[in-house]
Amino acid sequence: MANPTTNYYDLYRHGSLGIALTDALDELIGEERIDPQLAMKVLTQFDRVIAETLQEKVKARLTFKGSLDTYRFCDEVWTFLIRNVAFKLDNGGQTINADKVKIVSCSSKKNDEK
Amino acid sequence: MSNAAVGTVYDAIISEVINAVRVDFEENGVDDSALEDLKKEWQRKLSQMKLAQFPWDPKPEPPAPAPAHTQAAAAPAPSAPPASATYTQSTLSPQTAAQALSLPGVLLPGPNVMGVKQEQDFAQGDPTIKQEPGMQPMPQGYNPPNGARPTAAHRAALALESQYGQRAAASISAIHSGMASQANPALQPQQQGQRPGQPPQQMNQQQYRQGVAAAMQQRMQQVPGQRPPNGLPTAQLDGSSEAVDAPSLEPGSDAAQPPTMDRAQIDAHFHAQIAARAKQMEAGGLMLPLEEATKTPGVAGKARSGADGPSQLDGMDDDVKSEEDEDAINSDLDDPDEIGDDDEDDDDSMGQMMLCMYDKVQRVKNKWKCILKDGVLTVNGKEYVFHKATGEYEW
Repeated sequence: MANPTTNYYDLYRHGSLGIALTDALDELIGEERIDPQLAMKVLTQFDRVIAETLQEKVKARLTFKGSLDTYRFCDEVWTFLIRNVAFKLDNGGQTINADKVKIVSCSSKKNDEK
Repeated sequence: MSNAAVGTVYDAIISEVINAVRVDFEENGVDDSALEDLKKEWQRKLSQMKLAQFPWDPKPEPPAPAPAHTQAAAAPAPSAPPASATYTQSTLSPQTAAQALSLPGVLLPGPNVMGVKQEQDFAQGDPTIKQEPGMQPMPQGYNPPNGARPTAAHRAALALESQYGQRAAASISAIHSGMASQANPALQPQQQGQRPGQPPQQMNQQQYRQGVAAAMQQRMQQVPGQRPPNGLPTAQLDGSSEAVDAPSLEPGSDAAQPPTMDRAQIDAHFHAQIAARAKQMEAGGLMLPLEEATKTPGVAGKARSGADGPSQLDGMDDDVKSEEDEDAINSDLDDPDEIGDDDEDDDDSMGQMMLCMYDKVQRVKNKWKCILKDGVLTVNGKEYVFHKATGEYEW
């Protein structure tokens, strides 16, 4: 909590939860009700909270198969574009199919270092 | 893991973030209501995405699904505009064409009233001779309507100058002299006295038609090879065009004199302007209320009269206009494409995406295996969270 900025990725900001938060913050900034700096603080808190919550509260497991269209490894970030993916959820055996899914994945090591 | 878990997880995240930043908000002296608004807005936006059932959804806001509905309704819309656009166009343009025929005479009492009226005098005189290329129409008693309308005269002079350059010098000077002489006020009542029975509006319409016909006629005379591309309006205007052509007979003997040439040009220019305004009316009628459409045409009409043959007021124009309009709508037509692109981008960036950490990524030849954790998966409009995921895929 002391220095959340360095220890958490901001990658979840690109998810729906992060986008919704960013938009809401943008509106408040646009209405000049908060500083951009304060918004940045909110986002760093968000980075921490979502990482911790996913780590601690979520137990679900998932397997998926597909054909890899593109892969990229840059700055410790893996990016995959997978086509014809089938996700299998552990509980309930539900299967989700998708034409293509982009996976952006950061190293989990960084979290361990904190 | 399931979609249902997302709501509670996200709710927990939101609450925790809001609580965590409450101190920061207070330190910045920001009102607590801003924080509450932030939370509400955050939740509302998430609800709009309709990625999952959120715990805050059912209680406070049944309206929350509504925005999502509108969103969904808006989504297919981009494909619709082209069809609807062409539809309105096809349905509207005939109407506006009809309007343009009947209205401008009423709405544009500018230079044409006097100019055409003058010709009308000759119309009664001798309608038989017409379409003689050598003849130059010269309204004898014609006086540029400058005294009454200096602005129109100025415009005419300017337009003539820009259109014809040096050749128009004589006619411009004629305009200016006409301004000085102010012969109009005397003329106008005279002419109106000739046709006392007619209501002024009808007169205007008739004059307008004659004006159009005169413009076409003069264009034909100036450019003999060029004919109106569509015979329709010409046929309509036949009766009056005879009348308008009449002046060309009487002044025909004076045709060689340079000033008559110039006046003919002025005449032509006025008619061209009127016709251009009529055109403008058609175009404007698509977009604007009539009052507004009639206020504006002066400027655009002037611009057009210089640019292209403005006297063509017929079916061909409609075709051209529809093409132009299609061009104009192209920006709208482009939108679906752009939206399509955006959709693709969205698929890449947000629509179908998994954000996560990786523990291990292995590859043996073309077979990949990775172990991911702490992820958020957005797929097919639904959101999932997972603690651990294993993926196998071939390249």
